[in-house]
Amino acid sequence: MNALSYISISFLIIPLMALFICILLKRSRQNLGFYLMGLFTLTQMGFALHGLVLFNNLKISEFLFGLPITESLTDIFTLKSVSLVILFCIGLVALVSLLIANKTMPEDKKLSYLRLLSTLILGMNGIVLINDLFTMYLFIEIIGISSFVLISTTKTQEGLESAFIYLVMSALASILILTGIAFIFMRTGNVEFSYLIEVAKTQGNAPQNALTYLSYILIISGLLIKTGAVPFHSWLPDAHQSADTSVSVLLSGIVIKAAGVYCLITVTEIFGNLYVIRLSLAIIGIITIAIGALFALHQNHFKRILAYSSVSQMGYMLLGISAGGVLGLIGTVFHIFNHAVFKSTLFTNAAAIHEETHTLEIDKMGGLQKQMPITATTSLIAFLSTAGIPPLSGFWSKLLIIIALWNAGFIGFGITALVLSIFTAAYFLRLQMNVFFGQTPESMKNVHEVGGSIKFAEVFLTIITVAVGLGFPFILLYLEASGIL
Amino acid sequence: MSAFEIAVLATGFLLILAGCFCLMRTYHIIKIIIGIEIAMKAVTLFIAYAGHINGEMGLAQSFIITIIVVEVVIAVVLSGISLNLYKKYKSMDLRNIRKLKG
Repeated sequence: MNALSYISISFLIIPLMALFICILLKRSRQNLGFYLMGLFTLTQMGFALHGLVLFNNLKISEFLFGLPITESLTDIFTLKSVSLVILFCIGLVALVSLLIANKTMPEDKKLSYLRLLSTLILGMNGIVLINDLFTMYLFIEIIGISSFVLISTTKTQEGLESAFIYLVMSALASILILTGIAFIFMRTGNVEFSYLIEVAKTQGNAPQNALTYLSYILIISGLLIKTGAVPFHSWLPDAHQSADTSVSVLLSGIVIKAAGVYCLITVTEIFGNLYVIRLSLAIIGIITIAIGALFALHQNHFKRILAYSSVSQMGYMLLGISAGGVLGLIGTVFHIFNHAVFKSTLFTNAAAIHEETHTLEIDKMGGLQKQMPITATTSLIAFLSTAGIPPLSGFWSKLLIIIALWNAGFIGFGITALVLSIFTAAYFLRLQMNVFFGQTPESMKNVHEVGGSIKFAEVFLTIITVAVGLGFPFILLYLEASGIL
Repeated sequence: MSAFEIAVLATGFLLILAGCFCLMRTYHIIKIIIGIEIAMKAVTLFIAYAGHINGEMGLAQSFIITIIVVEVVIAVVLSGISLNLYKKYKSMDLRNIRKLKG
């Protein structure tokens, strides 16, 4: 057992341990639970960074590991450099969610929130470490079930209703994914990734079999429901709007990416990067960007705008996947990281505003810039990063995705994506104008800056956005020097 | 393909169609839950068939048992949410539950 195997197993053991501790905790000690979970998420972030350093030192790109109990359980999980980046994002978003929940969650729901959060982290950590299709389905279900219960924890009418819609949609997704897996199993007799990649290679560029194509279509449409891409996006704004803000951060920041985009990356790889699949993903991506941005333009609820913005950003990730190649992969993963950071900032701003003004309807707000300077500044920086203004981090990932599209021959898609980012600026300008600029209404004269953990989260995330944006050229130079690009 | 295999596949397709019909065309919450259950059961039929033709029955059996467990968990969560919805709205008809724009 070397350091790497301890680190990789800890990604599964730590959330399990956290779950047991939170189950055993008494309600009077729930603040201890918050500190412990915070410590666990920080540990996960540290381990992910340490893993990246080790990968670099050992010059490897993936590492097989398993549970060292019996022979048959070794080498059942894989740790890749991409999964380490996602694991870091999971730790970061979970930490932000804890910082918000500390303030916004009702006292009597805090303990169940902690338990569900550790289950959710277990599911998301699992999904980036898996090695076969069936385990992927299992972890998707773990993520799904914990998010349904998290959305409906506060038991408001909207929360229950959106949890119901989400559950029915994702039950449909599970049926599609499982049917696809059954067809693949029927055809090959095995569902392990390494075996399927071999099969895809021998098939070449055209699998002459209707069953194979059918299974690809089924699995990809199931995953697109989980991602919230446009024909299947109806559950996403409802769920984001009606859940508690600490849960919305998790949903928008990481759940739709771990259960949707990351699985799509894996699945397109094992299907052998077929041109048809990449083309259809690119078309869906462009439609997703356009529709998400257009719908975001005329919403009046702060969190609903952010949810439609998430839909729109998912489109960029789909475009990155469709571009394929190393550049497309790096662009997608980096956009996942950036989106996790700036969307968490914006949801933290939403939590701050809701804490102080007790409303999220943007018509009723205005001129909050003077009363809440830190919230206004952090929200402005996050919005500029989302719109892709250099030198903030969002610019670099969009640039990489568009260059990758250009290289892959999807020139029209690249130009359209570039033009559509104007819409991103448009709906966020409307949001900023309504909330932070202009006249302050009488009812909001007494509003003042939020304090404590929410303020800390805002500042912390903004520092990451700016620092990564400024430091990104060095990351690119480093990637080029180590021969990855 | 023997007649038995064709019968298994046809039953699977029919059950999936029935489940999806339940999901889309009915408005009663309990009917929707039943529809999901039926469709999931149909998928287990496909997996059993796949195990049969590949000679991987052991793998197929472990998949099926896992699916059954997951499906029960989903059914329980869904019933819990439906129960709470019923307490709020005093109705099991989805047409009465329209607070969100969706």
